[in-house]
Amino acid sequence: MKPQKNKWWQAIKIILGLAVLSFILSIIISMFIEDDFDGLDGNVAVIDITGTILADEDVDFLFEDVTSSDDIIELIKKADRNNEIKAIVFKINSPGGSAVASEEIANEIKKTNKTTVAWIREIGTSGAYWIASASDHVIANRMSITGSIGVIASYLGFSGFISDHNVTYERLVSGNLKDMGSPFKEMTQEERILFQKSLDSIHDYFVEEVAKNRNLKRRDVEKIATGQFFIGAEAKELGLVDELGGREEVITYVEEKIGEEADFTSYETKKGFFESLGKIFNENSFYIGKGIGNSLFAKAKLKESVSIST
Amino acid sequence: MLNKYAKSKQINIKVRFMQFMNPANKKIIFAQASVLKRAAAFAIDILTVNLIILFPFDTVYRKIVPSDSFSEAFRFLSSNANSTSIRIIIMSASIVTILYFVIFEKKLRQTPGKMLFRLYVKEEGKDLKYWQLFIRSMFLMPLFPFVLLWIIDPIVMLFTKDNQRLSEILSRTKVVEEYKV
Repeated sequence: MKPQKNKWWQAIKIILGLAVLSFILSIIISMFIEDDFDGLDGNVAVIDITGTILADEDVDFLFEDVTSSDDIIELIKKADRNNEIKAIVFKINSPGGSAVASEEIANEIKKTNKTTVAWIREIGTSGAYWIASASDHVIANRMSITGSIGVIASYLGFSGFISDHNVTYERLVSGNLKDMGSPFKEMTQEERILFQKSLDSIHDYFVEEVAKNRNLKRRDVEKIATGQFFIGAEAKELGLVDELGGREEVITYVEEKIGEEADFTSYETKKGFFESLGKIFNENSFYIGKGIGNSLFAKAKLKESVSIST
Repeated sequence: MLNKYAKSKQINIKVRFMQFMNPANKKIIFAQASVLKRAAAFAIDILTVNLIILFPFDTVYRKIVPSDSFSEAFRFLSSNANSTSIRIIIMSASIVTILYFVIFEKKLRQTPGKMLFRLYVKEEGKDLKYWQLFIRSMFLMPLFPFVLLWIIDPIVMLFTKDNQRLSEILSRTKVVEEYKV
């Protein structure tokens, strides 16, 4: 047996050692927690949908704003799990993007039982409008750009360019349509028809979803689903938007719905160094086509084929 | 039960009588530890762990739990029970608590609580092994089926010869009390 005095010294040393260990552990854990429990103080979660909407989580452009559907879905689920959160506000400033990503987000919004509000700021067109339409209430500024219900899959063809530069495209395919949409060869009539058919089908889904979400007649939506964009005031008249306004109107609507004072809290995914750097250089696009172009460029880079964007 | 209690009382009276009769020639003997002293030692250990060792976790806890009120905190923790972060916090705190018991019992055969009441961990074999110490403390693991030991251990303790918990029977260890006679 060790002398009692000696034992107490050893006991103090062990306690201090364990306290240091738990201090280190708590620092490591708090790093995780910041990501998992962002902004738990409020009762209204604000989720930003900014830039081009894409499905791939890893797709990033250094100087462009990109929203991944995976991230947004995760944030919606997180807000949904938190009992303190009574409403979710989607702050939209996006020209749209991938049809798949837009539908994924819209479906997740419809799943939640909490009050959802889409707040369109400068731009909320195409896929971004699809997302907005899935919310309980859509608020836009009278000058916001919205609508643009349509699908696009245009791309740059390089077949003329490469032949001018004496470069040949060696076509090696086992299926006749395997390289359909390749920018290095001219599109055939058959391919064009097939492409158009697919686009029309997606356009149909889009129209159907907007009509269902906004409680509008399908033929009314079809009339405006020409890809044309509308400013907020026009969109209100067409029934695409419920209310004209901004932050104040969002607060008033939410407070009325939840029956208590709204306390906004931002739900966001932590960004890496390069993404944060990109944000500094980013300029918000005025052009509807910019988002579509980025989406196509991203997809073409990733899959080396044509993509369909809303 | 009553028989066991009377027996342990008898041992205590015998020891005290021997101390009274022969105060100068004190000899150390180890006998069965009293349940009450063990409970008090455990309470002191848990208090030490909570107030000193797990103190840094308090900052993390305050960061995630929205309110100080117990009911609100409970509601929050129940609704976020599946959160990875909460699981990580609970597991880390439990691992540190288990390490407290394992390290103390390996190095000193006593925890601070046991030191105050002159209680020691005694093994049945030659030396106290780490696996034995982990089994002794596995009831602190907040996972099924270990949580059942919170109920089973005290019950078994009341009905065994040396007041052994089930975890102690499995680890082939027991807690003894030091007497100077």
